[in-house]
Amino acid sequence: MILVTGGCFQGKTSYACETFGIEKEETADGALCPAEELYRTRLLYHFHEYIRRMMKTGQDFSMERLKRENPEVVLVTNELGYGVVPVDRFDREYREKTGRVCCQIAKEAAQVHRVVCGIGTVIKDG
Amino acid sequence: MLCLITGGSGSGKSEYAERMVMRLGKMPRLYIATMYPFDEECHERIRRHRAMRAEKGFETLECYTGLKDADVSGYGTVLLECMSNLVANELYQEGGAGARCVEAILEGVRKIREQCEHLIVVTNEIFSDGIEYDEETRQYQQYLGSINRQIASMAEVAAEVVYSIPLVYKGNPEAAG
Repeated sequence: MILVTGGCFQGKTSYACETFGIEKEETADGALCPAEELYRTRLLYHFHEYIRRMMKTGQDFSMERLKRENPEVVLVTNELGYGVVPVDRFDREYREKTGRVCCQIAKEAAQVHRVVCGIGTVIKDG
Repeated sequence: MLCLITGGSGSGKSEYAERMVMRLGKMPRLYIATMYPFDEECHERIRRHRAMRAEKGFETLECYTGLKDADVSGYGTVLLECMSNLVANELYQEGGAGARCVEAILEGVRKIREQCEHLIVVTNEIFSDGIEYDEETRQYQQYLGSINRQIASMAEVAAEVVYSIPLVYKGNPEAAG
């Protein structure tokens, strides 16, 4: 499992596709794809949007299932939580949940990359 | 040693800071809690942090304003969490330092540092979500930014935690202690 994070519009997905030799056709958009796609795609981008959708529809994300069924997946997510505490309760819970899930994934991941201005830095390797 | 730990919300910075306190080992341990419990959500967050500290040998001191008056003499390691709450309290609570919050808080940090062996300050990155906040909130960001910069400048160690991974910008947290 590999986690790629960074701010929005930093070229995270292009960086990930290039770095890991994945074609755009092999990727899934977390904002739109069926929930099941997480467990079979090579790369899922907009992972934060995926988490938001799961929260909105009352579904949960299963780390155990992901490890079992798609252990090599590359997950691309916006790095959230760098602002003032949101006024809206759902927004607060969403950024908190995304943080907790991404911490979990970072712990499991073989590598974590952080992308700024299209340039990736490996912040965890092994 | 003075150590500044920053990171976004939900980045795992509290957990990292606590691990650092445990590794430093210098007893007794004091946790300075700055979050004022306004509502159930705050209570829930406080409960979660208390559970994380359970059986780790921390005593807790609640300090919402007036850090410089906190008596921490006799403690080996002090963990202050979180600077963003402390600044908000000083700004918005009755009896807070208001526009003098930067000086007041830095004076408090210096005093605590003199009294104990290790001080670890947890703060918060609230500076880059691209939202233009109102004037009051921008002022708050400016105060916290100024405090973060000045503590980092005094500190032996400064690190940002990204989804549980520490990015060390200053010093060596492994060598400290």
